[in-house]
Amino acid sequence: MRPPYLRLFRWHVLRYVRQHRLLSLLNVLSVGLGVAVFLATQLANQSANRAFAATVDLVAGKADLQIMAPGGVPEIMLPQCARVSGVAAATPLVRGFVTLPDFPGEYLDVLGIDVFTNEPFRTFDAGSGDLHGDAFEEWLGDPQAIAVTAQFANEHNLRRGDTLRVQVNGAERELRVAFIFNAEALADPHIAALDVGWAQELFGQRGRLSAIQLRLANGASRQDVVRRLRKIAPADATIAPPAQRNEQVEKMLGGFELNLTAMSLVSLLVGMFLIYNAISASVVRRKHELGILRSLGTTRKEVRALFLGEAALLGAIGTTAGLAGGFLLAHFLVRIVAGTISSLYVLVNVNAVRVTPWIFVAAAFAGLLAVLCAAWLPANTAAKLDPVRALIGSAAPEQASTRSRRWIISGIGALLLAIIFSRAALMTGPPWLGFGAAFFVLAGFSLLVPPSASSFSATASGAFRYLRRRRARSPVELELASANLGRALMRNAVTIASLAAAVAMTVGVTVMVFSFRTTVASWINQTLLADLFIAPASNEIVGPTSFIPPELIDFLQNNRAVADVDTFREIDLPFRGSMIALAVVRGSERRQLQFVRGNAAEIMRRFHQEQCVLISESFARRQHMHDGQLLELATPAGPQRFHIAGIFYDYTRDQGVVYMSAQKFAQLWNDKRVNSVAVYLNEGASAQQLTTEIRERFSRAGEFAIYSNRALRARIFEIFDQTFAVTYVLRAIAVVVALVGIFLSLTTLIIERARELAVLRAIGASGAQVRRLLLFEAMFVGLLASIVGIASGICLSFVLTGVINRAFFGWTVRLDFPWGSLGATPVWIVAAALAAAIIPAWRASKVPLAETLRSE
Amino acid sequence: MKFALFTFVAAVALAADWKTAEPGWQYGFPRDHHAHADFKTEWWYFTGNLSDTTGRRFGFEITFFREGVRPPAQRTAALSRFVVNDLKFAHFAITDARGGRFLFRQKTSRGSFGEAGFDDANRIAWIDDWSLLLNDDGSFDLHAVSNEGAAQLHLRPMKPPVVHGEDGISLKASSAGHASCYYSITRLAAAGELRIGATSFSVHGSSWFDHEWATNQLAPDQIGWNWLCVQFSDNTELMLYQMRLANGQADPSSSGTYVDADGSAVRLKSNAFSMTPQRFWKSSASGAAYPIEWRVIVPERQLDLVVRAVVDNQELNLPPLTYWEGAVDVTGTKSGVGYLELTGYAAPLKALQR
Repeated sequence: MRPPYLRLFRWHVLRYVRQHRLLSLLNVLSVGLGVAVFLATQLANQSANRAFAATVDLVAGKADLQIMAPGGVPEIMLPQCARVSGVAAATPLVRGFVTLPDFPGEYLDVLGIDVFTNEPFRTFDAGSGDLHGDAFEEWLGDPQAIAVTAQFANEHNLRRGDTLRVQVNGAERELRVAFIFNAEALADPHIAALDVGWAQELFGQRGRLSAIQLRLANGASRQDVVRRLRKIAPADATIAPPAQRNEQVEKMLGGFELNLTAMSLVSLLVGMFLIYNAISASVVRRKHELGILRSLGTTRKEVRALFLGEAALLGAIGTTAGLAGGFLLAHFLVRIVAGTISSLYVLVNVNAVRVTPWIFVAAAFAGLLAVLCAAWLPANTAAKLDPVRALIGSAAPEQASTRSRRWIISGIGALLLAIIFSRAALMTGPPWLGFGAAFFVLAGFSLLVPPSASSFSATASGAFRYLRRRRARSPVELELASANLGRALMRNAVTIASLAAAVAMTVGVTVMVFSFRTTVASWINQTLLADLFIAPASNEIVGPTSFIPPELIDFLQNNRAVADVDTFREIDLPFRGSMIALAVVRGSERRQLQFVRGNAAEIMRRFHQEQCVLISESFARRQHMHDGQLLELATPAGPQRFHIAGIFYDYTRDQGVVYMSAQKFAQLWNDKRVNSVAVYLNEGASAQQLTTEIRERFSRAGEFAIYSNRALRARIFEIFDQTFAVTYVLRAIAVVVALVGIFLSLTTLIIERARELAVLRAIGASGAQVRRLLLFEAMFVGLLASIVGIASGICLSFVLTGVINRAFFGWTVRLDFPWGSLGATPVWIVAAALAAAIIPAWRASKVPLAETLRSE
Repeated sequence: MKFALFTFVAAVALAADWKTAEPGWQYGFPRDHHAHADFKTEWWYFTGNLSDTTGRRFGFEITFFREGVRPPAQRTAALSRFVVNDLKFAHFAITDARGGRFLFRQKTSRGSFGEAGFDDANRIAWIDDWSLLLNDDGSFDLHAVSNEGAAQLHLRPMKPPVVHGEDGISLKASSAGHASCYYSITRLAAAGELRIGATSFSVHGSSWFDHEWATNQLAPDQIGWNWLCVQFSDNTELMLYQMRLANGQADPSSSGTYVDADGSAVRLKSNAFSMTPQRFWKSSASGAAYPIEWRVIVPERQLDLVVRAVVDNQELNLPPLTYWEGAVDVTGTKSGVGYLELTGYAAPLKALQR
């Protein structure tokens, strides 16, 4: 009578797992880490998106439509909008940022609201429904009365009546906490509110509104209302549901977040290798047992189910642990992700990790799927095992080693696929095909591991044998170790491949970041030439929202030390249903832009004299535009067409940027404000002295950030490194998973070879010799993994820089190799492999001989 | 303790910023029909009893309020148009005696785009399409409209304005500084149109106009007032008010005015009259119990009157300003119609108490 599956599972799997607790634990750990990283990345991404959306929702309230324009909406439109048929309610909104010098790095996102008209829009408790009370009069009458969220007040220990120093537009103002309100938990606690009139005064925005929010009358058609509003709105106004901003931001962050997801999957991939390895080991180890089971009538299907069951058990425990770990890791990761998003894309404050059940379901599914996929091959091998051979040959050599050519062909095939995917990603898109290319690079090299290992084993053992015969100085352990590499080829190969994948990822990312850094450094060297850079300090925290006062610019232009002043202004413009950055520059003769092609002098002449703009490389790639084409931009004077005079290299943002001359901009937008200036000094003038002068006259309270050339470069690289912070974290985790893998694989190998090692001991090998043998084996595994890993990593770096980077971000990054750290890779990998082998090797040398050999 | 000190300091600072009603105000018309922006609080109060051609009885109230937010000294020019100097709000109520209905509505606006304000040539006050106009011939035009009803009335003064109180100010408390400038036109001939729901009524009748401006008129221990105006059928009028103290007593500085048929006015001190509640009505909306029936005795005028609300529920529930203001019938030694105002029953009137 055949035992039913569950009993079989209990005898066969559970007992095995119980006997090999440490191994099982490590397997669980490897799956757990993979799942944890994947989950944490998803949670961090989603939390950032949701936090942004919640803030948009809070600001939008119940508005159905929102009118915005790059230079602000003229306030006179408000009563006109309210009269448009189909509009039930209209309310003005002024929005701006202030920074808080008393709380460095902190800011308030100040909403200027109109309590008279925003009641139908409100979704939060303003705490002042009191239309006639003292509070209401204070709100309307006191220019300093600001409302802050309870969370912000708590975190900064603020109470009603406390004064709050703020910086805005390079000046210091004083506000007073007059109200504390409760905002929706998800939204940014930095949201604060001021009466719309006082907000206009605070931000120097008299006459203009940041937005007009509208509610539609019941049954009114949105399209009809938008059409009517169009007639009275400025030509460059956007009239859309407020939620559209969420979609735009989600789209903008899509590439960045997909990259993180892809990187997080590498950990899972490494985990798959390890599971494959573990299940293979358990198959080999239980060949005899399997033979008996099959002889007793257990079917192939049942054998396969048994091993898949074992994998599922480990996977389930690992996944569960991974879900918990991922949730914890997310709390750490979310800060880094939010920091990167804020410095690269859009200011976002994530105050909590947002959990939605489906992400957990997806992560669990990914974990289990990965485990079952990894276990499928070994489980299948077990199922196909011939019972007779299984019972006789206890240590039959693997058949796989004979199929060397197959491995090579599939390996090369995979690499070819990588090339095809790369070209497709660049030529036709979609960009995520680049990840396919990266996957095939890793897969291709993994497939090449068995033939490389086997030829390495053959060559090395031959060489050592030759050496030993000649001089007898080469220890026999070296020869044995290199030969062993080929004997347990499949499992060794998987160990090597998994380690190589992790190394490849480390190398790929390192090379990519290094190349990026070098490219940016050389770009900075060519373009960052001014001696001083000045911007309102608040722009550092909240982006280009504050302006340089004209007096400061006059002061600089009339200063004897100053040779020239470049100004810079940044503004978001609607373009093809999304937003693009328009940079307004003046005095660019000195700003040496590097053009992709064309004569720089001629391009700059046209830029200043004709109806022309310059576009950055990433903009060109993203929008599929090239020089000579016409670019249509929405301006207050209606749509205007500009010739693209040139495409320049720029690494400031992946969305790309359009440059326009200040003169042209002032003509069309009637706006001369600038966000920052770059100052060129006369020969012999002291930057330090000018800085001191500026501080004394304009920046006593640190209202302006003033950077020397060198300090700005340092700051740029600070931001650069912050941008790659997440990458570093994910890379580190992949390495940890790989190291766990080494330990796991070596332990498996040794346990499995207990009998063989005992035989060695029995025929006279000392404990020390066995230890050495195993350490040598570990060294070879580490060495091979480093070699394959570096080769694969270099190929991966081609894909990362040349394909993924270009396809997603549109940057040209010149490949450059950090030879030092590449050279060091084998050293630390081998060292890690040796370290991982110490305990297993020591245990192997202590194997009780008699007991282990009894069955022989 | 600290908090109390703070409010004290704030109150002193506030009083210093605004002009207070001091004895000796020289009234001049039409000048004083207009706004007095140096004072913190001001209102134009029109009430009246009307009937249509079939004799159907109506009451109306249309009031414009101005509550100063920024004292005159702070009103620098060239600020954002959204910065407000005054709160502008208005109340509109119609009483339909036959239907037992009472409609009320509040309107408020920032007035940034001129849609609300005070003193624009002959427009004394307006918020959107609610307005009070002073015509060149001294008559007024009132207009208010809401979803439930509307009023368009032309009001012709039948008597000259009567200044209340002594030496140009009406004392509201025994302590100094709590007073207002206060005059009334005690009888105006009203004619025009009322609309309730979809039905319009051509109406005529008599109206009463109160105009009052002050800073700081209530003392801290006062929680509200009872106010009554009566237009007797013999062409005389009576106005009485009682300041209500937190302890339930009437403040001794309460007073009244009696106006003869020829328009001459006589001041009534607090001990010259008595007002005794006869019946209370409890509002289910605010929970306040209002004395809506009174016995009023003015011995020196031989008046012994019973004042009865035309409809019980004439409460304007507009938190935080919830009060009862309604049409009344007056019987007794003389008969007539009038309006009764009861404030501070739902909550003390904090806003007027600085």
